[in-house]
Amino acid sequence: MVDMTVQIGSLKLNNPVIAASGTFGFEREIEQYMDLSKLGGISSKGLTIKPRSGNDAPRVAECPQGMLNSVGLQNPGIEYFIENELPHMLTYGCAVIANIAGHEFEEYGEMAKLLEDTAVDAIELNLSCPNVSGGCMAFGSDAYMIRSVVSSVKKVSSKPLWVKLTPNVTSISEMAIAAEEAGADAVSLINTLLGLVIDIDSRRPIMKNNTGGLSGPAVRPVAVRMVNEVYNAVSIPVIGMGGIMTGRDAAEMMIAGASAVQVGTANLVKPTACIDIIRELESWTANTGAAGVSEITGTIVKW
Amino acid sequence: MVHQIDYSCQVIRRQQPNRSYVILTLESPEIAAMAMPGQFVDVSSDQFLRRPFGIMSVDREQGTFAIGIRVMGQGTLYLSRLQPGDKVSILGPLGHGFCLEGYDRIITVGGGTGVFPLFFVQQFCREQNIEGIAVCGYRSAEESILTEEFTQTACAVSFASDAGDMTVAGHAGIALQAVIDDLIETNSDISRTLICACGPKLMMKTAARLAKQAGISCQVSLEERMACGVGICLVCVCKTKKDDGTVEHSRCCVDGPVFDAEVVIW
Repeated sequence: MVDMTVQIGSLKLNNPVIAASGTFGFEREIEQYMDLSKLGGISSKGLTIKPRSGNDAPRVAECPQGMLNSVGLQNPGIEYFIENELPHMLTYGCAVIANIAGHEFEEYGEMAKLLEDTAVDAIELNLSCPNVSGGCMAFGSDAYMIRSVVSSVKKVSSKPLWVKLTPNVTSISEMAIAAEEAGADAVSLINTLLGLVIDIDSRRPIMKNNTGGLSGPAVRPVAVRMVNEVYNAVSIPVIGMGGIMTGRDAAEMMIAGASAVQVGTANLVKPTACIDIIRELESWTANTGAAGVSEITGTIVKW
Repeated sequence: MVHQIDYSCQVIRRQQPNRSYVILTLESPEIAAMAMPGQFVDVSSDQFLRRPFGIMSVDREQGTFAIGIRVMGQGTLYLSRLQPGDKVSILGPLGHGFCLEGYDRIITVGGGTGVFPLFFVQQFCREQNIEGIAVCGYRSAEESILTEEFTQTACAVSFASDAGDMTVAGHAGIALQAVIDDLIETNSDISRTLICACGPKLMMKTAARLAKQAGISCQVSLEERMACGVGICLVCVCKTKKDDGTVEHSRCCVDGPVFDAEVVIW
């Protein structure tokens, strides 16, 4: 038997596979199709201080080996989440991570305060959503802002703090270092890559918001490279994501330096993808002779 | 308890009634047993995302169901070329279908590919001894589809075409108006009549308006670019009215695809 548990700072996960924010709804649907206790964790849909209705449809465009989305953080607001969704999520028996997205700088601290008295296992600061104007990705592409947001949240929160980074920057390591220096307990990456798809007949973008975030296998090599860069730049755990569809893809991300992985777009193609990925990763790890999956992390043998 | 959603379905039959459409009959006793009119399935192709199709009919004894495919792009082209014996991964049955309980007359109004899920409604009406009236709109007689099947299954049919080469010249709304006028002229009791619409947005909007004018209930099956099909990604939203009058984004895949026409903001 392979030990599938992993440690992200003070938080122990059943296994390294976490359902990524925004690709699992609020789990009410997915719980009909799979046993969520088998997951390492679930990162909630991006939460905002006020409810948001999100962007107008169409919100999705397909591309080779991936898709773009422009949901625009549709969510019922953090207070509704804490009251109505979180108690139910906490019954699943896997780690629950609250993903929070601010429009204004202060909102991150306000939301972290609201989460302080809940049993949420960790907070993931969304400093990377490309589909809303202002805040979020604007904060995440400026090292100074990352430091400010992270340290302000650290002041009011005792929860493990993960910072979700955007790949839409020149140096993602610089952003990860800023997060680490300000007190982040882990960094998660990558959020989606900003993209544009045009219908050549109408010359209109497919999505109503014009641009959207690219995800899926198309982005995986970029994600693996960035995870490896960040792994070499910081000493806090790195949570890797970007186009993981199989257990082998998860292993690749961990070899690059991830202590845990998140699975997002795969859920949209196969709702039970996470379960298959965990099983495949476990059997792949067993075949390597490793006693525990955490031994894989950072074992890349570079040329 | 968790239940299965992903089935590997074998193609049992491939029919090409005209050059625009292919009808696939697929084997899945589970989907055939569970499916209700207005629900859909999400089918894998050679493209990244699945493709949603309204369920056209079920044969619960044979354990099969059928979908109608119009080739729109690479994914539908791939699916249209599947042959008997091929297997394909399908999620289903998905979504909230039509609420048909309590009605004694159901008028289906379909346009283009929208006629497929409405055939399932007519099949249901026939099984349940509900009076089914089928109104179908097509571009032309050449592009018409399922006309024989609707004629055999429904109590009455009315076919319209934009090209003017079918019974009614013009769109399905014109044919629907004639059906409603006829019911009113014959003093029919319309208190338990329902209009089910599926097709181009403008056609559904027209059907909803005509239904409202006549005081007839109306349900519409909406479509929006979809990703997951199971309610977890929030991309396939449409605007709907809540009870308090506020507007919200509802998911076509799980909150719909069928909505009461009264709540839809067109």
